[in-house]
Amino acid sequence: MEENNREKCRELATRLYELDGEVYKSVGSSLGRTFTGDRERTIRNLSSLMYTKPDGHLLRSEMALISNMARTIKDKDEKSRLMKKYDEIFKEIAALPETFVGVDIADKERMILNHLLKHREKISENDHLVICISRTQGSAGNDIGFGLADDLRINYYDVEIFDQVMRRLEAEKGAVTDAEYFADFNKYGKKKGLNLKKWFREFNRYHGLPKQDAVFFNMSDLICDLARSEDCIIMGRCADAILKNNHIPHISLFITAPFGIRVQHIMDVRNMNMKDAIHFLKKMDKQHKKYYNFYGGENWGKPENYDFCINSASYGIKETEKLIMRLLDEQIR
Amino acid sequence: MTVLKKLLTVLCTVLTVILACPAGVWAAGNSETAATVPIWLCIPFAGLLLCIAVMPLVKGEWWEAHQPIVVIFWILMMVIPFAAVYGAGKMTETVLECVINDYLTFIILLFGLFCVSGNITIEGDFAGSPRVNVGLLALGTFLSSCIGTTGASMLMVRPVIKMNSWRKRKGHIMIFFIFMVSNMGGCLTPIGDPPLLMGFMRGVPFFWSMHLLPVLLFNMVILLFVFYHLDMRSYKHDIADGRKPDISKPGTEFKIEGLHNIIFLVMIVAGVILSGILPSLPAFQDAAGNVRGIHIFGEVTLGFPSVIEILLILLAAFLSFKTTDKKIRVRNHFTWGAIREVAVLFIGIFITMQPALMLLKAVGPNLGITEPYQMFWATGALSSFLDNTPTYLVFLTTAGTLGFTGGIATTLGTVPVKLLSAISCGAVFMGANTYIGNAPNFMVKTLSDENGINMPSFFGYMAWSVCFLVPVFIIDMLVFFL
Repeated sequence: MEENNREKCRELATRLYELDGEVYKSVGSSLGRTFTGDRERTIRNLSSLMYTKPDGHLLRSEMALISNMARTIKDKDEKSRLMKKYDEIFKEIAALPETFVGVDIADKERMILNHLLKHREKISENDHLVICISRTQGSAGNDIGFGLADDLRINYYDVEIFDQVMRRLEAEKGAVTDAEYFADFNKYGKKKGLNLKKWFREFNRYHGLPKQDAVFFNMSDLICDLARSEDCIIMGRCADAILKNNHIPHISLFITAPFGIRVQHIMDVRNMNMKDAIHFLKKMDKQHKKYYNFYGGENWGKPENYDFCINSASYGIKETEKLIMRLLDEQIR
Repeated sequence: MTVLKKLLTVLCTVLTVILACPAGVWAAGNSETAATVPIWLCIPFAGLLLCIAVMPLVKGEWWEAHQPIVVIFWILMMVIPFAAVYGAGKMTETVLECVINDYLTFIILLFGLFCVSGNITIEGDFAGSPRVNVGLLALGTFLSSCIGTTGASMLMVRPVIKMNSWRKRKGHIMIFFIFMVSNMGGCLTPIGDPPLLMGFMRGVPFFWSMHLLPVLLFNMVILLFVFYHLDMRSYKHDIADGRKPDISKPGTEFKIEGLHNIIFLVMIVAGVILSGILPSLPAFQDAAGNVRGIHIFGEVTLGFPSVIEILLILLAAFLSFKTTDKKIRVRNHFTWGAIREVAVLFIGIFITMQPALMLLKAVGPNLGITEPYQMFWATGALSSFLDNTPTYLVFLTTAGTLGFTGGIATTLGTVPVKLLSAISCGAVFMGANTYIGNAPNFMVKTLSDENGINMPSFFGYMAWSVCFLVPVFIIDMLVFFL
């Protein structure tokens, strides 16, 4: 019964989305349609709105926007045809049973993921195995990620590879006309000493967006494309948040270790003294947190945002890899 | 819950109406003249405001289909008792005076700007981000003083909607657009907002309004700062929702089509300026010093300067339509809905507010308002609901009769700079307090509604203005008008 309702909501949401497209096309405007998000996400959101609260004001106001636009169609027959469609959908939505009577569910996706409900969305046979690893600096997250990719024989994407891909992407677009490369680009902050000429050039190149945002949007496209096309491990870059927001099945991991051990690791690997290592780690944590919170809309490092959180110091690099493999085993099967 | 909400809405409305008609409260004072205008004649105005505020919430579709009937009903509710109190002749004269000399020029100006701006399309793939939006609002605010708040609003509203079309949360952008472009920006020149044009016609120098630049800049800094942070919050949520603008093309393409319509825009602005200059020229005055014109009824005359203004505007609109490709209007989603709604609602507002304006004219000079901060709030509070032009004139007249010797010499008397600044700022700024405070407010709301943006209800919008504008006005008072 519940599954039927869910299907019905999805069907209605699809019709509503398509109706919006038809209305926008009939109007001929270039100012933007009502549902400007991508098809899949919009339909999911709409069906979620219907499923959780068919009489909710949010859904009503979304629908009102479509009818507002439909009423401005000049061709009377077309207007009447589309308004009739609208009325039909409206009536069907009004007739939906209230599956969660009077309860607003803040984040349905999270609720579905909750294993206590035994409805966890598993990676299906048709989906690719995508593992997103977030990690704190000095927790050997990169080593673990690389090892996992090797064990699983899947592609490994980390920050350097992404920078290369981004550079190629920009070069293909013909947008890179100067000697500036993305390897020099600091994704965490604005570059100092930007002169007016350069500012205008960047303003034009990135459609008025700050460079950080434009790079993020490009990266976000790339991550979604990768996740849809191949099995891979993606390190950092808010990949888990991006894929979650785009409803692409994936497994998210957060790897960390106690601060003291991370400091020791950084001192060994980067040949730093303790003071510099502490300063470096604090700075990196702060930047990671800020970046993730801004673009991901979630709190970086909070356990509830990930499928698994692991203290790599408890097991060491190899053991952590094995542990993750065991945890993934069922999911992979 | 719904009943509770409706009850709350009605209570808020009653409160608003009481606030909207302080003239009714003052009329209970000592003024003998005030007694000649019965307060209950203001009820139809309050009733119409109530309908505008509540009907879209409780019976939206019915309201949309029956607006003209409701407006006619409230007009009759004002006109019939008015005729009973003052006689049919006085009633006809009052209504015609309001329709011919106030409403006609008002709606034709709006119509002209609406038509011409609808024929200009800004094609570009700039993505609406907080900094782009701050830039657009700042540009629009200054543009308002050059081509008027209505002109700037109509010209800028579509590009702003278009650039932000990728976003989900964008109602606040249009609200701040109304605050700044549709209202505040008009304070620097007489072209900016009609009250200042009235001031110019009564002897205030053309460039005197530039004195208000520090106030405008001060407000812009505060509001844009607040806006930036609000917009950044929404922007972050939009990104976190997985929304992203289409930036697949390398670099930004930017072009303006229908650019020749700027000529027609200039024509309209020239018409407005002429309507302010011509009445003072001897050629347009009769022997008694009255403005020559077409006699309509009783003392109602449509002045030749107004005729020239109307003809110029209509000609500009006609030429704009004739010389612009229809495709541009289609891309701009040009419809008559917004102007029709404003035309219908505002004829009702203009006619039914006449008793309130008569009351204001009668009691205004006797209110004991002499300080700049008092002028600022009195002019502003009334401009939020009534037409800001007569409100401005009432308080300018009051200031002129206070007997000051230093300041700006006007035909109504000498008015100190601080007092004139307070009246001007009150009239121009506080039109942003409600949707009906200034005509472009409603136009922007309707255009946003038609293009996929959820705009707040009448009271929802007032909540925004109370939260973000009123505190700024309080700071203005403390800094500039005490």
